[in-house]
Amino acid sequence: MSHIKIDKNKCKSCYLCVDVCPNKLIQKSNCLGKTGEFVVEFKDKDSKCTACAQCAMMCPDIAIVEVVKE
Amino acid sequence: MQIFSTPKSIKKDSSFSFCPGCDHGIAVKLVAQIIDEMNLQDKTIAIASSGCSVTLYNFLDVDCIESPHGRACAVATGVKRAHKANGKEMFVFTYQGDGDFASIGLSESLHSALRGENITAICINNTNYGMTGGQLGPTTVLGQITTTSPMGRNIEYHGFPIKTAEHVALCEGSAFSARVALYDIKNIINAKKQIKKAFECQLKGYGFSFVEILSNCPTNWKLSPLDSHKKIENELSKIYPIKVFKDITND
Repeated sequence: MSHIKIDKNKCKSCYLCVDVCPNKLIQKSNCLGKTGEFVVEFKDKDSKCTACAQCAMMCPDIAIVEVVKE
Repeated sequence: MQIFSTPKSIKKDSSFSFCPGCDHGIAVKLVAQIIDEMNLQDKTIAIASSGCSVTLYNFLDVDCIESPHGRACAVATGVKRAHKANGKEMFVFTYQGDGDFASIGLSESLHSALRGENITAICINNTNYGMTGGQLGPTTVLGQITTTSPMGRNIEYHGFPIKTAEHVALCEGSAFSARVALYDIKNIINAKKQIKKAFECQLKGYGFSFVEILSNCPTNWKLSPLDSHKKIENELSKIYPIKVFKDITND
C-alpha cells in the first residue's frame, strides 16, 4: 500500500499539501503543532494514495519525509 | 519503492527557520535535490546573504560562507577565482533575496554578470524586504501596500519596480537567465529544470547563470499561504513573466 510519512515536529500547518493532494487524503488532525495550529495527518482508508509525491514536492518544510510506492 | 525522501544535502534534524508556507523552503529543497542528483556535495561552496536566506548554512550540508549585505556575488567571485588559482574547480552558487541582489547588491550582481563570472546566482523575489518586516523593496509592484508605502507604490514617488531576470539577460557576459515560480506542481517541476540548467552552465564554464524565483511572503502580504500562491498566479506572474530570457546553450 502506497503511503507517506509526516514528521509532526516539522509541520508548520500551512496546509499547502491539503490543497495539492489529488485524492484529498491529507487533512487537519486534532494534534497541535509547534506553531499553535493543528498539524496535518494522512488518512487513506481505501488505499487511494498513488504515491504521486505532489505533497512532498509542495511541502516547504520537508515535513513529508518520505513517499513510498508499493 | 521509495519515491521521495529527505535530500542528503539537507542537514539531519534541522528544520527551516522560514515562516509557515514560505516558498523559500521549496527553493532550498530543490537546490538540495539538484546538488544530490548532480553529485556536487563535496565540491560546492554556497554563499548565503542577508535577508531570510541568512541561515542557509543551518540547513544545507555543504560548505557555506556568510557574505556582507548585498555582496554575495562579489564574495562568490573571490571564492571561485581563488580556488581556480589553486587549481581546484569548485562549484559556487549564491542564494539571495531580491533586496540583496537587486537593491543593495545591484552593482556587484550586474557587474558579475557583465564580467561573465562563472558562478550561479539564485534570487528569491518576494516583492518586499521580508525579514525586516515587509518594507517597500526594489521589486515591489505598483500599487502594492507595504509598511513604508501605506498608500501603495506609486510612480511619482517610488518609481517603477526592477525586473532582474531581464536585466541580467541583457548583460553580454551572462549565459543563462530565467524567471520561475513555485505556486503549483507544474511550476515547481519547471523551476527544478531551470535551476539544474543554470548549474550545468557553470559546470560547463559558460559564464554567469541566474535564476530568479518568484516567491510568496504570506506573513508580510498578510495572506494565507494558499491565497498568496493564488496572488502570484493571478497578479504577479502577469507583471513578472515566467520564462527563460537567455540560454546560450540553445544557440
